[in-house]
Amino acid sequence: MRRVSMTSNSRRHPFSSLGEISETRYWVYLLLLPSLLLLFLVVAYPTIYGFVISVREMRLTRPGLNGWVGMKHYISMMSDRVFWISLKNTAIWVAAAVMIEMTLGFIAAVALNRNLPGTRLFGVLILLPYFLPNVVAGHMWALLLDPRLGVINDILVRLGFLSSYKAWFADPNTALAATILVEAWHGFPFFALLFLAGLKGIPEDLYKAAAVDGAGSFTKFKLITVPMLKTVITAAVILRVISLVNSPDLLLVLTGGGPGNSTQVLSLYAFQTAYRDFNFGYAGALSVVMFFILMVFATIYIRLSRITKE
Amino acid sequence: MHLSKREFLAASAVLALAAGLRSANAATAINYWHHFASQSEMAGLAKIIQLFAAANPDISVTQESIPNSEYMAKVSSAVVAGGRPDTGMVIAERFADLTAMGALVDISEHVNTWQGKANLPDNRWTGMSNEGAIYAVPAYAFVDWMYYRKDYFDEAGISAPPKTFDEFLSVCRKLTDPSKNRYAFGMRGGAGGFKYVIDVMEAFGSPLVKDGQAAIDKPAAIEAITFYADLFRKEKVAPPSTPNDSYRQIMEGFRTGQTAMIWHHTGSLIEISAALKPGEQFATAPMPAGPKAHIARVAYAGNGIFKEDNVEAAWKWISFWGETDAAIALLEATGYFPASTAALKDQRITGNPIYAAATQTLEFGRLPNSFVGAAGWSENVVNPTFQAVLTGQLTPEQAVDRMIEGLEAALR
Repeated sequence: MRRVSMTSNSRRHPFSSLGEISETRYWVYLLLLPSLLLLFLVVAYPTIYGFVISVREMRLTRPGLNGWVGMKHYISMMSDRVFWISLKNTAIWVAAAVMIEMTLGFIAAVALNRNLPGTRLFGVLILLPYFLPNVVAGHMWALLLDPRLGVINDILVRLGFLSSYKAWFADPNTALAATILVEAWHGFPFFALLFLAGLKGIPEDLYKAAAVDGAGSFTKFKLITVPMLKTVITAAVILRVISLVNSPDLLLVLTGGGPGNSTQVLSLYAFQTAYRDFNFGYAGALSVVMFFILMVFATIYIRLSRITKE
Repeated sequence: MHLSKREFLAASAVLALAAGLRSANAATAINYWHHFASQSEMAGLAKIIQLFAAANPDISVTQESIPNSEYMAKVSSAVVAGGRPDTGMVIAERFADLTAMGALVDISEHVNTWQGKANLPDNRWTGMSNEGAIYAVPAYAFVDWMYYRKDYFDEAGISAPPKTFDEFLSVCRKLTDPSKNRYAFGMRGGAGGFKYVIDVMEAFGSPLVKDGQAAIDKPAAIEAITFYADLFRKEKVAPPSTPNDSYRQIMEGFRTGQTAMIWHHTGSLIEISAALKPGEQFATAPMPAGPKAHIARVAYAGNGIFKEDNVEAAWKWISFWGETDAAIALLEATGYFPASTAALKDQRITGNPIYAAATQTLEFGRLPNSFVGAAGWSENVVNPTFQAVLTGQLTPEQAVDRMIEGLEAALR
């Protein structure tokens, strides 16, 4: 009898045990496994590795020094003047760019939402800057603002706003502002696109009802548009802030962080530390600081905007 | 069709043999990373690949162009994460960092048995060697010199280019006229400007590194920074855009007539010759001498082997660059000065007066400073610090203090 039962077990279909598992609560974990594995490989592993690098000495040109250094890089950062300049510039760069982009994006979205003649064409034109890679946009604006040949300088001189061509990126008083304007031009369609999608989702009835109650344009904007767009605004701001904090390419093309670190930001500083000094440990620590700044910002911002309570 | 077992085995054996022969005849494929980007450079490279293919039909070379500013980022990533190329371009300024990170293969044995070595004197190998081992074959040289607008000089009644810094300043004053948007000197204050800041410091008598230690002579360096920055700050003989002007901007300034003199190397001769007439509109001269030393860099560039997988094919490729045919092909396309003495005797160099200044510079020119951390210190400390002096954010004294501090940190 024993022999017969063993034979029948060994001839069981290989998928029958899977079938049995599918009836248990473990099945859901099994189905999640490929995705979890993928997430670990592409998200968790690089992030953890970044943290690990930040507590190690990792200088490619001095492999003999490599090893654990604990919090050394973070302590050095406290007395690193370029870090503090970069932190301040990052805050200015991101805050100013997001505010300008949001304002322009909102105006563009409202205009496009009116379905006036030519809206589609203007829609494409408004979105064009966002389609341009940062490097292309950077070179284009470097030429437009060029102190020798720049069209914008020429226009400003002809209109009488300037007496001679201005080297916008060579003056520490104007370099950061000029790069912010270029970034705002490049990034405002992102807000326009998201705001337009949000505006399309607001029922027209709400505005009609408000009009019946005697609400003016500003009241409608304040009591209907803004509350209804709150989730979109929050998501757009967070995504854009993350993107701006992490992208040094436009500044790399326009100023390289200069003159004299006046446009240096954290992401560019981390990039230059890694790929010019080959000091990956310190660059890793800078990146971890950026990571925490973004985490704290996103948490506070989401709490303040109270979107999770809705 | 029916095959017997014996026929099937025989046919399989023939096919296997044919496949083996085919793979034995197949070209060995190697790849090559470089930072050539301009049309002339790419034309020169294509010509060298073509000549190499004709001489070595069993080796195929795939080239990959990486922007110069990204080159070290890509190489260092390849060293850390794998994916090194077989061969790659090596310039003197980057040699110390490349060897320190273990990116290059020691090729001393190949070089010592190579016939072409005789055409490359010792000073060519100095910048490509470390602790007695050779890591790259010199192919061409960037010889620093000065381009000047001969027509502007004639117009101002200046008979000859300046030979010293004092003469340079005096000529600068004569040639500057902001009302005509004309400035005497296209100073490079943006990316890459550190090169000339260091040159001026040495010309005023301040070394950088001695025996692996920071050796900047503070008073000499302050004098140098003051002199050089004052060309922009006080004398105003450089354009207002100077603090952000890198290669492209100084080149446009010179080509379009905004500036009368620029300091660069032989590599931009073809580009300038395309815009201005050599001998009439522009000419070349050795760099002016400083009060303590006459500084001009002769930076040999070459090629190295980055991994040992196809080392024989890789060696054939990098050594081919040191041969006369390849050197002349590159010279014709780009104007890059050959490293090989055999190629330097070519009529196209000896018979062209525009090259006289470069030939003269070869006699006194110095190799670029080469120490581990030089590139990072130059770009991340010297450049922004000097920019800060230009824009009035720092005094020369403060700038030199920061340079010394940064150099000490880089050497630790």
